[in-house]
Amino acid sequence: MLSLGIESTAHTFSCAVIEKKGKQGKILSDIRKIYRPPEGEGIHPREASRHHAENSPQVLSECLRKANVKISDLDIVSYAAGPGLGPCLRIGAVVARSLSSYYDIPIYPVNHALGHIELGKMLTGAKDPLVLLVSGGHTMILAFLSKKWRVFGETLDITLGQLLDQIGRYAGFASPCGPKIEELASKSKEYLPLPYVVKGNDVSFSGLLSATKRIIPKGIEATCFSLQETAFSMMGEATERALSFTGKKELLVVGGVAANKRLSDILSSICKRHGCKFFVAPKEYAGDCGSQISWVGLLESSKKIGTNLGDTFVKQSWRLDTVEVLY
Amino acid sequence: MKLLKKGAEADIYITSWNGQNSVLKIRKKKDYRVHSLDTRIRTLRTIREAKMLSEAKSFGITTPLVYFVDEKKCKIYLQFIEGKLIRDLPAKKIIKTCKEIGKIVGLLHKNGVMHGDLTTSNFILSQKGLVILDFGLSQKTDKIDDYAIDLRLFKEVLNSAHAQIVDDAWTLFIQGYRKILGKNITEKIINQVLVIEKRGRYANVI
Repeated sequence: MLSLGIESTAHTFSCAVIEKKGKQGKILSDIRKIYRPPEGEGIHPREASRHHAENSPQVLSECLRKANVKISDLDIVSYAAGPGLGPCLRIGAVVARSLSSYYDIPIYPVNHALGHIELGKMLTGAKDPLVLLVSGGHTMILAFLSKKWRVFGETLDITLGQLLDQIGRYAGFASPCGPKIEELASKSKEYLPLPYVVKGNDVSFSGLLSATKRIIPKGIEATCFSLQETAFSMMGEATERALSFTGKKELLVVGGVAANKRLSDILSSICKRHGCKFFVAPKEYAGDCGSQISWVGLLESSKKIGTNLGDTFVKQSWRLDTVEVLY
Repeated sequence: MKLLKKGAEADIYITSWNGQNSVLKIRKKKDYRVHSLDTRIRTLRTIREAKMLSEAKSFGITTPLVYFVDEKKCKIYLQFIEGKLIRDLPAKKIIKTCKEIGKIVGLLHKNGVMHGDLTTSNFILSQKGLVILDFGLSQKTDKIDDYAIDLRLFKEVLNSAHAQIVDDAWTLFIQGYRKILGKNITEKIINQVLVIEKRGRYANVI
């Protein structure tokens, strides 16, 4: 079965073709174009959607060419229906609807967060993991129980990705700022005290954000180091609590921040202590990509035959724990 | 000394203290945390836990006795409580116990203490009744928001780990809670729980 997935929730516009044989998936192509705001600024939803609209034909045709398939070969089309930025989501949805109605291909609206998890599971081979989803849009600790992904812990305010991006932008870096902060942090060993807020399995980053802004004058490298250490330790503790509470024997980390080496070091040391297997999504597929959408479409196609075109909305606020998983 | 459980925060051992059966709780050094941050967290929580465990008794709540505290090594020797964790009880029994849990949490809040880690694995059902544990994240506070955070966490735990019984369990919990704090304050705090839930990512805001 061949599936085209379209991702356009935030700064990435991506198309990917995956072939599914039995339970195995093979990524035939995954093409991305990323909107880059000017240094020191964040995503402007209108500008990002304009970027997506302009680049969508080229990304789509390159994706098909690389996979060596024709549109008429596709069995299903899926698109990220949320959560995300409204104007951006609509671009992906319009492309998907057009293909679906013109070529008469079944269409599947997919939850973006579910995509991160399922693609992570497919690529790493994790079976029944506790999942840590850390990105610009999510910071959640999840486990699967009777048809739904249940939230064991999450951020009470901003996400880990937002925290890093906002500090980075404040310091004048280009978004996304994670890699730059990681690089600067690796040059320092000086820890400046910062607020550490863990509430049960939940974390809160807003106070840490304000406090970190204040210590930037003491040196950007020490600031980045202290920020990463504090935020990741908080994440580590919350994860450890959830791990110990659920007794899961696998941990899977997905989402853009999963690419951070220091974070995965912390988490893998926690896994070692609790005798549990550690999986992290490969760097290339940790962040937003069409494959995650394409793969969930394929999984859903085993249980239902597409969605009525009239019901293919986008949902800016679509919490993962409201999605019923049928497959 | 026998290892009972490797918790998230501390290791729990069974040992004895002056001839009494005792539980030793050690907050071990975490290598992944920067040393100064790690020491700050462990020391603070050890002291806080010991203090609150004792103070909670004066509200009429059953907690383990504190035998000895070593704040340098982050060790606490506690009374050993025989019983079962609420998390591991059969579903029906959990629902029933939730009313009692609600009363205990109500008593804590009435006396200006938030627990900070209200999960079903922090209560033991013993022969002498329900015992509450683990005050490492507790705090003295008079803010409605803090009390609501306690309730929200408990709701989150029911929602995730006990999804099949969440509605009944939550209703009984609130019943017990209301008994202690009265209708008005309870309503206020439950409303605040909804406010906090709306702060969550992608909660239904339009």
